[in-house]
Amino acid sequence: MSTIAETPPRGQAPRRMRIDGWRWGGRIFLVFMLLYTALPMAWMLITSIKSGFAAMQFPPQWWPDQPTLASYQKLLDPQNSVGQDFLRFFWNSLFVSTATTVLSVIVAVPAAYAFSRFTFPGRNFLFFTVLLRNMFPAVIFLVPLFILMRAIGLVNTHGSLVLTYLTFGLPLAIWLLKGFYDNIPVQLEQAARIDGATRFQAFILIVMPLSTPGIIATAIYSFIGAWNEYIYAYTFLSKNEQLTLPVGIQRFFSENTTDFPGLMAASFMMSVPVVVLFLVLQRYFVRALTEGAVKH
Amino acid sequence: MAHVVLKDLVKTYGGFKAVNEVSLTVNDGEFVALVGPSGCGKTTTLNLIAGLIPITSGDIVIGDQVVNDLDPKDRDIAMVFQNYALYPQKSVYMNLAFPLQMRKLPKAEIDKKVREAARVLDMTQLLERKPRELSGGQQQRVALGRALVRDPAVFLMDEPLSNLDAKLRVQMRSEIKRFHQDLKATIVYVTHDQLEAVTMADRMAVMNGGYLQQYDSPAQVFAHPANMFVASFVGSPAMSLIPLEASTANGDTVLKSAEGWSLQLSQRNARKAQSATTRKIVLGARHSTIKLHKSAVPGAIPAKAYTVEPTGDVTFVQALLSGAIVNISVSPNIAVKPDEQIWLEFDQERMHLFDGETEMALEAA
Repeated sequence: MSTIAETPPRGQAPRRMRIDGWRWGGRIFLVFMLLYTALPMAWMLITSIKSGFAAMQFPPQWWPDQPTLASYQKLLDPQNSVGQDFLRFFWNSLFVSTATTVLSVIVAVPAAYAFSRFTFPGRNFLFFTVLLRNMFPAVIFLVPLFILMRAIGLVNTHGSLVLTYLTFGLPLAIWLLKGFYDNIPVQLEQAARIDGATRFQAFILIVMPLSTPGIIATAIYSFIGAWNEYIYAYTFLSKNEQLTLPVGIQRFFSENTTDFPGLMAASFMMSVPVVVLFLVLQRYFVRALTEGAVKH
Repeated sequence: MAHVVLKDLVKTYGGFKAVNEVSLTVNDGEFVALVGPSGCGKTTTLNLIAGLIPITSGDIVIGDQVVNDLDPKDRDIAMVFQNYALYPQKSVYMNLAFPLQMRKLPKAEIDKKVREAARVLDMTQLLERKPRELSGGQQQRVALGRALVRDPAVFLMDEPLSNLDAKLRVQMRSEIKRFHQDLKATIVYVTHDQLEAVTMADRMAVMNGGYLQQYDSPAQVFAHPANMFVASFVGSPAMSLIPLEASTANGDTVLKSAEGWSLQLSQRNARKAQSATTRKIVLGARHSTIKLHKSAVPGAIPAKAYTVEPTGDVTFVQALLSGAIVNISVSPNIAVKPDEQIWLEFDQERMHLFDGETEMALEAA
């Protein structure tokens, strides 16, 4: 009996070969993609612990003869001018990104809830206009927004960036969260209201905890978007003490010849908050993006 | 506990009237079923009582208070939902405690009441579980527990059994009935299943198209349906409705079929037929009131068997008569074959006559 089961019919053999071929092709492709994304980061890390001289050598040192943390020390030292600048840029970025994140959650949560639960005049139109903004490349708005910011006196303030990043991040945040609220049965709120909660309490006590993954995903998304943004920060800010990390790093190091280990150390430290944030919260992030697809 | 009064209740959505001047009284401690096909307005009516949607006009009274503009939380009601609506992030214990926490009861009292409710519903061992770790029947029980833990004035139940499998449904049906008997609770129960309404309710309100069709005890609704809709909706298999035409010849009233046969009416039924606004009369008969003969009998009407459905202790025969399907139940030892010639005898005492125009039941003048 088992011999019959173990011997596949003749016709099936070539098909299995073909499936294996695809599988190996897929694996090779994935390995290639992995190297493509991971190698630059690895090289960034390796370069950041080289000395300035070692970084320029050719053929390159795959692993530095004398690894050093000098670049990191220099960047994190508040006593020298390089460190002062870097730390200031870092705090600027942190401030802009955190403000963007907090505001976008504050705006997106009620907006998404309203789009999901209420019918009001202009609902579809408003929802479409929310999305409309994302259908154009960001650069298109650069000059108009700059003129606008100048008119309302926000050029050279962090407020101009926070406002701009909000307009970028909000549409997706509202979309993502609306999907979340759509998936929460309205009967839960009704039950809560009958059980003695006000409409607002029902939202805070029942709906909000259920949408935590969505809110976290939204927050990560806004934070990363604001943290990494370059072109608007470059355009809206000109004073050195206001610059955010992406602009600051670029400007700073082009001025001080090209200190590659320093640049790489700064880049690495710039990626740390995002990576840490993502690692800690990725569980929620993945859940947020797949929720609704397989629920119920 | 309290009584509930609906007075000329109306709910419109744009131009659509979902609930149309519904008036009914639910007495203190009474179990009332709102029953009707989907879209008949029964769930909307329940949501209006709960205060989950605003009423368009009319009045709702719970206890002695007009609650038209009160929030759900201030109406002293509890509701069991079709999908149970258990809070998924909370344990069973916290689900039961939530209504009490919202009313700011002291912790010790909450604990006492939750454990008492859990004991009554036999789920003490489930208190620490999350709703998703429970079976459908257990979830249903938690939903019931969350409703009764607070001792509300009125229980509202929106198709609480329809998500359960058939066997569990029958079991929970008797549990809810028992629950009503023990608590003397005022219950408004929405269902599309007339059998649930008939078996559980003290009175049933049959709704269709947003209108209240009839409001009476199940026995009365069954024996004296107010109109053709109620007649066909309540009872299974449905009452057979045969469209006929009344005519009077030398003192006798007969119902004539387009197929050529005619049925002579008893004096009482003749008076009923004469009270109609039209000559068109619809004859209604339940399966058990029709006698099936395998040979011609005086007064019996010839028909052809259409399908035969044995169910074990009774066999249902469908026959085509005057374009309508007629259900007859016969003893299983009577063998009937499809397309066989049969004769049907209607019970004059237990037949129903309806006005062909207004569709209302006809009464003897």
